[in-house]
Amino acid sequence: MSHQLPVILFLLPLFAAISMPVLCLKHRHWSHRIALAILAVMALVSIVNLYNVIEHGEVRYMFSGWVAPLGIEWVADGLSSIVLVLLSVLGFLGVVFAGTTSPKALDGRIVHYYTLILLLISAMVGVVFTRDLFNLFVFLEVAAIASYALIGVAGGRALFAAFRYLILGTLGASLYLLGVSYLYAVTGTLNMADMADKLPFLLSSKAVVGGLLFMFIGLGIKMALVPFHAWMPDAYTYAPSSTSPILASLVTKVALLAWVRIIFWVLSASIAIYDIPILLLVEIVGALAAVIGASLALAQRNIKMIFAYGGVSHIGIILIGIGQGNQTGFAGGIFYLLNDAVMQAALFFLAGVAFCHYGVRTVEDMARVGKQAPWLTVCLIIVGLGMIGLPPTGGFFGKWYIILGALDEGNYISVAAVLLSTLLTLAYFVKLFEGIFRQTTRSEVKYSEIPFSFKLTLGVTSAAILILGLLSAPIVQLILSHALPPGL
Amino acid sequence: MVDAIGSIFQRPNFLTFVIIFLWGFYIMVTRYNLVKKLIGMYLVQTSVIFFLVSISAKRGATVPVLLSTTETVQAVNYVNPLPHVMTLTAIVVGVATTGVGLALCAAIYRKYGSLDEQEILEKLE
Repeated sequence: MSHQLPVILFLLPLFAAISMPVLCLKHRHWSHRIALAILAVMALVSIVNLYNVIEHGEVRYMFSGWVAPLGIEWVADGLSSIVLVLLSVLGFLGVVFAGTTSPKALDGRIVHYYTLILLLISAMVGVVFTRDLFNLFVFLEVAAIASYALIGVAGGRALFAAFRYLILGTLGASLYLLGVSYLYAVTGTLNMADMADKLPFLLSSKAVVGGLLFMFIGLGIKMALVPFHAWMPDAYTYAPSSTSPILASLVTKVALLAWVRIIFWVLSASIAIYDIPILLLVEIVGALAAVIGASLALAQRNIKMIFAYGGVSHIGIILIGIGQGNQTGFAGGIFYLLNDAVMQAALFFLAGVAFCHYGVRTVEDMARVGKQAPWLTVCLIIVGLGMIGLPPTGGFFGKWYIILGALDEGNYISVAAVLLSTLLTLAYFVKLFEGIFRQTTRSEVKYSEIPFSFKLTLGVTSAAILILGLLSAPIVQLILSHALPPGL
Repeated sequence: MVDAIGSIFQRPNFLTFVIIFLWGFYIMVTRYNLVKKLIGMYLVQTSVIFFLVSISAKRGATVPVLLSTTETVQAVNYVNPLPHVMTLTAIVVGVATTGVGLALCAAIYRKYGSLDEQEILEKLE
């Protein structure tokens, strides 16, 4: 039974998504409950899967019994199992949140809305587990198509943002596919482990270098890495409040994970192409993203825009950790990835509550509601501490391990980049806090208590930020002992 | 120099791929009409599919089904099926993406009464 867990985790949301239109033919409001139930089951199964992987080692699943280099192989190792727990829990919270905030205009199409969410989640499960480069492309595209539609449902500006995302995302996917076909033409295999055996002897080939470049640019577009991030803030700002938490916290992180897989599992950490170590490139790109993203966030007035650019800068910080090429840096990067996913979810829950319940869009609007929104204020402070990286939040320990890793390697530029982006993050959160606490205008409107689902999502994510901080030592230990790539 | 140019023309397929890819990319970047952008995007996708077919083409080979189990298998006689399977999947993905793109275009047109990017941006301000 336990060796079937990866594929069960994938099939649960997929089957629910496919059967949703039939099950909810008569009762549209069932769709929300079905999605909730499926994701709750999925969260439990993913925890069982993580436990199983820790106890008995990684699970390899061969589809239809075709052995690895020929067939498609899925592997549930430590890294993918940890990320999967995160994915299903955040997906569950996202659906809880969507129940209250889903666009009113949807009405009869609400069933399709949840179908798309489940489809998105099942595609991300595929991206996390797969060890086949082409399979990865297919799942990235399924996830992307579901997210274009989920962004577009808001109507108005979201349509245009979704269209831009579609154009850029498809360009990214085409580049990735082109890269995969270059590598396939050279090595004759699509399996990651098999390719890892063959690539080291072929690194002088221009086709391999070109293919890798295309793949990295393609995935870079998907994960909103700095020169290619243009689609992301617009798309996540104008997306309906109910979808942006799931999209912002998971879609870009999953693409980043695919990049990590290719760097460490297909190539290896110490590889240099034309005498340029590949990890040095990752680190430089990460440092640029961390600083530029945070500076752009500082220039925004719309709170969702600020949070989206914050996400851009945090992708950079994760890459700095990954790019150090030692165990501490890698564990720090992955730990920060977990934190960042939770923080992004919390931020977009906050922005969603602020918009749906209080009608707040910009920093100036925040001043109206300050004292009447205790949940909003407290959660914003906790998430702010996490984003800035103050103890005892998870953000602090993530950055701590990343900086320790960078110091081990003597990469002072990385340390400077992390610190600079931390300062810039502090600056834009000070702007937000100022908006809340200054209270220039007294508000005449009396706001009612926020609904339970808002309290639940805000509470759980804020608590998770603190818990990740308090339990940082065992979690980092878990990453160090079970989730490290081969040869690091 | 002449050799380099000559070697390019010996592989007309790859030349065609590069031309289609860049042409599509050029359309995506320069045209303001959203449907034209989609056409450019579809050209880019198609060029990659064309490349996949080109690398797997083989003269005088047949489908990879063994006619008899007694003869020894000569790999030269059979086409590698995998790139073709990838091509099929990529076509399906491309069609789905284009479908979503066209639906978005239609919704944008209903909302703003225009498909010109600059006109829409003016209305958004």
